Amino acid sequence: MERRDFLLTTATAASALGCSREVATTPEGETALIRGEVGWTKAPCRFCGTGCGVEVGVAEGKVVAVRGDELSPVNKGLLCVKGYHLPALLYGRDRLKQPLLRNADGQGFLPISWDKALDLIASKFKDVLQQHGPQAVAMYGSGQWTVYDGYAALKWVKAGMRSNNLEANARLCMSSAVMGFMTQFQSDEPMGCYDDFESGDDFVLWGNNMAEMHPILFSRILETKRKKPSVRIIDIATRYTPTSQFADVYIEIKPNTALALANGILHVLVRDKLLDEAFLSENVVFKRGIEDLDKIGYGCFDEQAREYTFKDEPRDSSLEELQEFLKDYTPDKVSTITGIPSAQIEALGKLYGDRNRGTVSLWCMGVNQHTRGTWMNNLITDLHLATGKISRPGNNPLSLTGQPSACGTVREVGTLANRLPADMVVTNPEHRAKAEKIWGLEAGTIPEKPGYHSVDMFRALSRGDVKALWIQVTNPWVTMPNLHRFERKPGDGRFIVVSDIYPTPTTAVADLILPSAAWVEREGIFGNTERRTQHWQKVVDPPGEAKEDAWQIIQVAKRMGYGQLFPWEGDWHQPMYEEYRQFTLGAGKDLATYQELKASRGLRWPVVNGKETRYRYAVGHDPYAKKASGVHFYKAKAYGEKAALWLRPYQPPAESPDDEYPFWLCTGRVLEHWHSGSMTRRIKQLHQAVPEAYVELNRADADALGIADGEAVKLVSRRGELRLKAKIDGRGRPPRGSVFVPFFDEGKLVNRLTLDAMDNISYEPDYKKCAVQVQKG
Amino acid sequence: MRTRAAWIVVAFIALGTTGCDWVPSSQVPAATPTSYSVRAARRSYDGAPPVIPHAPLKIKCVACHTDTGKETPPLGFAPANPHTQTAGLSSASHCQQCHVFRQQDEVSANGLAASDFQGLSQQFAKAERLYLGAPPVIPHRVFMREDCISCHAGPVARTEIRCSHPQRTNCRQCHVPGAEPVAPPELAAAAL
Repeated sequence: MERRDFLLTTATAASALGCSREVATTPEGETALIRGEVGWTKAPCRFCGTGCGVEVGVAEGKVVAVRGDELSPVNKGLLCVKGYHLPALLYGRDRLKQPLLRNADGQGFLPISWDKALDLIASKFKDVLQQHGPQAVAMYGSGQWTVYDGYAALKWVKAGMRSNNLEANARLCMSSAVMGFMTQFQSDEPMGCYDDFESGDDFVLWGNNMAEMHPILFSRILETKRKKPSVRIIDIATRYTPTSQFADVYIEIKPNTALALANGILHVLVRDKLLDEAFLSENVVFKRGIEDLDKIGYGCFDEQAREYTFKDEPRDSSLEELQEFLKDYTPDKVSTITGIPSAQIEALGKLYGDRNRGTVSLWCMGVNQHTRGTWMNNLITDLHLATGKISRPGNNPLSLTGQPSACGTVREVGTLANRLPADMVVTNPEHRAKAEKIWGLEAGTIPEKPGYHSVDMFRALSRGDVKALWIQVTNPWVTMPNLHRFERKPGDGRFIVVSDIYPTPTTAVADLILPSAAWVEREGIFGNTERRTQHWQKVVDPPGEAKEDAWQIIQVAKRMGYGQLFPWEGDWHQPMYEEYRQFTLGAGKDLATYQELKASRGLRWPVVNGKETRYRYAVGHDPYAKKASGVHFYKAKAYGEKAALWLRPYQPPAESPDDEYPFWLCTGRVLEHWHSGSMTRRIKQLHQAVPEAYVELNRADADALGIADGEAVKLVSRRGELRLKAKIDGRGRPPRGSVFVPFFDEGKLVNRLTLDAMDNISYEPDYKKCAVQVQKG
Repeated sequence: MRTRAAWIVVAFIALGTTGCDWVPSSQVPAATPTSYSVRAARRSYDGAPPVIPHAPLKIKCVACHTDTGKETPPLGFAPANPHTQTAGLSSASHCQQCHVFRQQDEVSANGLAASDFQGLSQQFAKAERLYLGAPPVIPHRVFMREDCISCHAGPVARTEIRCSHPQRTNCRQCHVPGAEPVAPPELAAAAL
């Protein structure tokens, strides 16, 4: 008998007896369940982009426990504290359970039926479309959208309403990585995978606090280091963190100056003839873009603060030009800019140039949330292209992601203002035609002009150019930079719908709130950092009238007359996935079949004939790599199927400390909380561990200001002020002249202080650098 | 497997011939090192990592939470670290990746963490044996608990799971993992 059959039989027999549980008594007289009546299934974790596998324990219609999935190749049975506390995220007492409509007087909300809520959304969006056109409607989702939700949103917005105003909060977290990969390989997402954590020798962390943000992946590195003591962890950071404690070398760098550091390392590679010239001549072209700071700007000052639409203009370059360009970046000069001793810059050059050791570069928000984040992504990948250390086990640039499906949904489905599925863009007529063909639409349905990117979308909402906005699974009134710009009073003529599972500062400004189903309350698919697509089934019912996000979109689309976009009868999950999968086949982004996903612990695309790909572009690994040996960057047609090495200079940040505002402010996360805290702050153990946001101060600065640990501090930027408790010599220790504040606490909104400066290519805001005053009290 | 003469002697004297099996409540001594309610209060559900019940200290966790545990005045006995043989974890691991401090006892006034979550309560697994007198199979997963006597012996070992013969250090010579295979992708229908 198959195991599943056995379980079914047992269950049937047990329920027939009307007794599905055995109860034991503890020595203290408490009753407790005896093992056996809990059902277990697999799912990916709901939190970060690592994509750990968990086994979900269900009893009596509720999730009661999780276990680290020993069969998951991602986490191999381990979990972090957030993962272990997943079950409680579903059961916060203030879970949203019914649609809520704002009262006519603007104060408070009253429950309404789904029917009325959906009719209202459909009529409001139709009215705005008729009166103001497709530029005035918008949808803003997230990297926590399942593939189903993102795909439904894509069809509703781009094919239904014929607007490209579709964005997701992933714009705020990894769009610089997207544009890095797109500008260099003409295809998004990493070539390497987590297997690099076992096969690498040197792990270079660029502004990446892995021990807190990607703890399970960091555990894999530590385990490799334990088994292979020659492994080194190099932590390049603007602040001493728990990651630094485990690093072999902690390299403290001045904010924003990693651009100079990467060029300094390239300088050493060129000077010491450590380039892999054979690799370069066979596989690499050289490119250069606009470098005039006056033209580029930062997207937040003067007329750019209305809309930021700077476009880079690539031109051909050469190895000779690179050598000339790098003359400016001698270790001594780079040392002055970065504050890093020249000897360490030389040592990093030797590390990247050492062909006998595998080098893995890792980064996340420190590099991506940067006013030149795409340049930084380019430069880190340049180090690997220059040395040929790419698309080989243990040798890769690997950008980490922070949301469970930033890759699977936002990047792969393409829920961004300029994108379509599988690396396609709306500006390319062939790409639009392919989408229209798969969707059975007449040519010309999908508009050509990209919509607003995220920051501009909210600026347009503030101005009134966007009049109807639907937000799902994200909390922009906590997470947008320079929040003052987006303050809103209901009754301003805009219509804002927010779908979420808990009340947040974002639902507080909504006109209509919809209750969503979360995680295993619905069927879903997530795609993680290493291109692994993971499926889970629904195992418990959502509370009250909560519904999954994709269902909400489909119902509205049907009420707006776009029913032909969602023609499926009954359970639409599998047919929707199969339609989406057509985009990926033959594109080098081939997703596994629905059945393969259900049966596996996820598979890494491209999946061809049921076989996943660990190393993209690598002959012998990637079925699309057609050369005899080595690597084949087959997606980069415009570069002659070669990768592009970009020359990118150092530029200063948008705002630096001065006499008036003398401290750097950096924002970020802590291990226990995830993003804006709307889930983790409702989990007792996590909330009690870190109950509120605080400001980390350097002890010498604190002493100079007369501030003791735990005392009140006021931070003031040019945009706002915030009171917090001081944390001195805590888990993170910023160097003198800088402070750090986590952003999870909706009661202490650090984004009232941050600057809305952006990357010039990805339009990703820089949350890591602005200038503040630090005052006692 | 390592020899731990000290605990073996203590445990052996203390326990006499008590077996590894479930012991009916009437026969269990009243005093156990950590009560069930305290144990439950430290965990979100059975199987969740316990929160750290003491304030942060300036030393490394593994200085006291050794593979045998250690008397640490005035805090008391630091229970053994059961994960010293877990693949992927080691004494160099980041303990606070899973075990967090409780910085505040009550949930905040805004009531954010008010929850209706009811976790899986303490599980008692009855070990199977082929016949009376045969060694019982291990009734739980071994992953993260590879070091049997970190839980089944020593002064804080739960009475009902204390081993009568910890001096025979190679536990898995006789006791084999027998329960809880990894979950199949499809949910066992029992839960639905």
